[in-house]
Amino acid sequence: MATEQETRRAGVTVRSARWIENLSETQFAYLLLTPMILLMGVVALWPLARTFTMSLRADSLFGAAQLGQFIGFDHYVALLTGEIDAQLTRPFFDPGQPFRSALTVTFIFTVVSVFFETVIGFGQALVLDQDFWGRRWLRVAILLPWAVPIVIQGMIFFLLFQPGVGFLVEPLQSVGLFSSTPTASSVDSMIIVVVADVWKTSAFMALIILAGLQSVDRSLYEVSKVEGASTWQRFKTVTFPLVLPAVLVAMLFRTIAAMRIYGLIETVSSCSTVPSLSCLVVTTFGARQYATAATIAFVTAAIIGILVSVYIVKYADLEGGGF
Amino acid sequence: MATDTHDAPGGARAETTTETTTDQRDGEDEDAGPYTRWVQRSIREPGRVYRAMFVVVTIFFLVTTLFPLYWLGVLALTEQGKMTDVGLVPNGFNPAVFVEVFETVPFHWYMFNSIVIGLVTTAIVLVFASLAGYVFGRMEFPGRTPLMLVVLAISYFPPVAFLLPLFRLFTGNVALTFPGTDVAITSPMLFNTPGALVLPYSALFMPLSIFILTTFYAQIPDGLERASRVEGTTRLGALYRVIVPLSAPGLATAGVLTFISVYNEFFFGFLMTDGQPDHWAPIVWGIFRFQGQYADLYNYMAAASLIGIVPVAVLVVVAQERIVSGLTAGALKE
Repeated sequence: MATEQETRRAGVTVRSARWIENLSETQFAYLLLTPMILLMGVVALWPLARTFTMSLRADSLFGAAQLGQFIGFDHYVALLTGEIDAQLTRPFFDPGQPFRSALTVTFIFTVVSVFFETVIGFGQALVLDQDFWGRRWLRVAILLPWAVPIVIQGMIFFLLFQPGVGFLVEPLQSVGLFSSTPTASSVDSMIIVVVADVWKTSAFMALIILAGLQSVDRSLYEVSKVEGASTWQRFKTVTFPLVLPAVLVAMLFRTIAAMRIYGLIETVSSCSTVPSLSCLVVTTFGARQYATAATIAFVTAAIIGILVSVYIVKYADLEGGGF
Repeated sequence: MATDTHDAPGGARAETTTETTTDQRDGEDEDAGPYTRWVQRSIREPGRVYRAMFVVVTIFFLVTTLFPLYWLGVLALTEQGKMTDVGLVPNGFNPAVFVEVFETVPFHWYMFNSIVIGLVTTAIVLVFASLAGYVFGRMEFPGRTPLMLVVLAISYFPPVAFLLPLFRLFTGNVALTFPGTDVAITSPMLFNTPGALVLPYSALFMPLSIFILTTFYAQIPDGLERASRVEGTTRLGALYRVIVPLSAPGLATAGVLTFISVYNEFFFGFLMTDGQPDHWAPIVWGIFRFQGQYADLYNYMAAASLIGIVPVAVLVVVAQERIVSGLTAGALKE
């Protein structure tokens, strides 16, 4: 009996192996891709499509239904013209109060944090590119903040800038830079969030730029040395242009991540103090304005898409520029 | 700056020291201060400046990256009631805080949840992404480039774009009706179960692993696989006997990065559970409970944060080469 079952099982194995063997290359490829496609389809593609269709319906604030009737792109129009702002906890775009409206907050955060991360990451990469004793441990030290969970990163800087606990607040207040309650002031909280983000993610920049540095042909340095270039000239004419593509890639990834900022804000201060785009989606969702929330989510994705294409065009320029 | 230290062999350094001694013997700079003397010598030999700059910059980076963590330790050890202007050394010494943390909030359960969710996600991602990476890295078939672009595009979307439908899906609010019949399947109630986190994590962190493994599998020479196929091994046999044993380093890289990403994640961990440790709430909620319920127990918050860092800190020390190669491969692949 047991042997009979075994042979039957073996038969199934052999048959499926033969079936797989007889598949064409394309069929075999798609067979192996099936699990990935199924999972991504249900948990990534379907939600994206659904978010989009949700955004085309009206909000239904009262009653059992979660969404109202089909209204097309009305939400998008209302969002971009500012008509919807009155229904939101914070305006979507209001140049009059840059630290209180979602789009400006997100842009300010992205530009400032990516700028400092690039500069510091470049510095870290140049240091890690040297050969010296203890380099491995320096790399561990630089990498450590990158691995710290977002909520703990937020907690560290929440504590560092907590009046009465952290020693940083009082000097900053006496200089006049900070108000009495930094984590409740929009500008102060923005500064703290930027510092926290630079602390955590410069390492990511550093590693990608380092990979770029190490792929530079060392003989170019020899040539420039023979030509009598100083170290600074060598950096400016050889290192920097050759590393620029890697810097752009690192900046692209950091920009995408910075545009999504949410958790750090929620830990350090609150979404009403520093209303980023993701924050606005979550608070709108919490107020049962599901369709509006979906609209903001999709507009956020579209803005990120536009930024990505700007970087890709710039990158293609560099590659095509020929050096 | 990039090359001075390693391009200059031992000879250059020896030269410096001899020069130093001559300077001192000659006594030409006797009346100049040590700073002026240093500057004069530096002008004669610019390499010194770069070396000094290098040391200063290195120390600067060490201090800035490690200081917040050190200060967290200082704050944790400070005694209750003495927490005003905590500086470089703790006010008092209270190591018991690392035990009290677990007595106040079941922080170990939150960590356990995070680690289990991280491991399960990593397992799923590795199986699915290694199949996909193998196909993308080693096979040519129609639809390859569009599929890879879709995977890449998904990784660009912010988590909020997935949140609303997923939330409804996991709370049993989505029904699949078969056309022409009355049969409808309602989505299972996954909210407050590990599934509500593992599923979105698996999908959203998979693209990075797919790209890492695609690069990795593409580097395995074709000849090995072909040889085993010529010898009569089946397709699956070749995959299992040739490719899998060779792919350990790639899998380790993708695995470490996936685990750290999941352990790091905030958005879904915060929004897809109600925060109870027996409802699989991750570490995000553990930390938040201190901030919310025990608003002035700053030393507890600091101690919990330090404990929460330990698992990833160990991973960074043990697997730093893997992390570095994974991040750079995943990013530079594009």
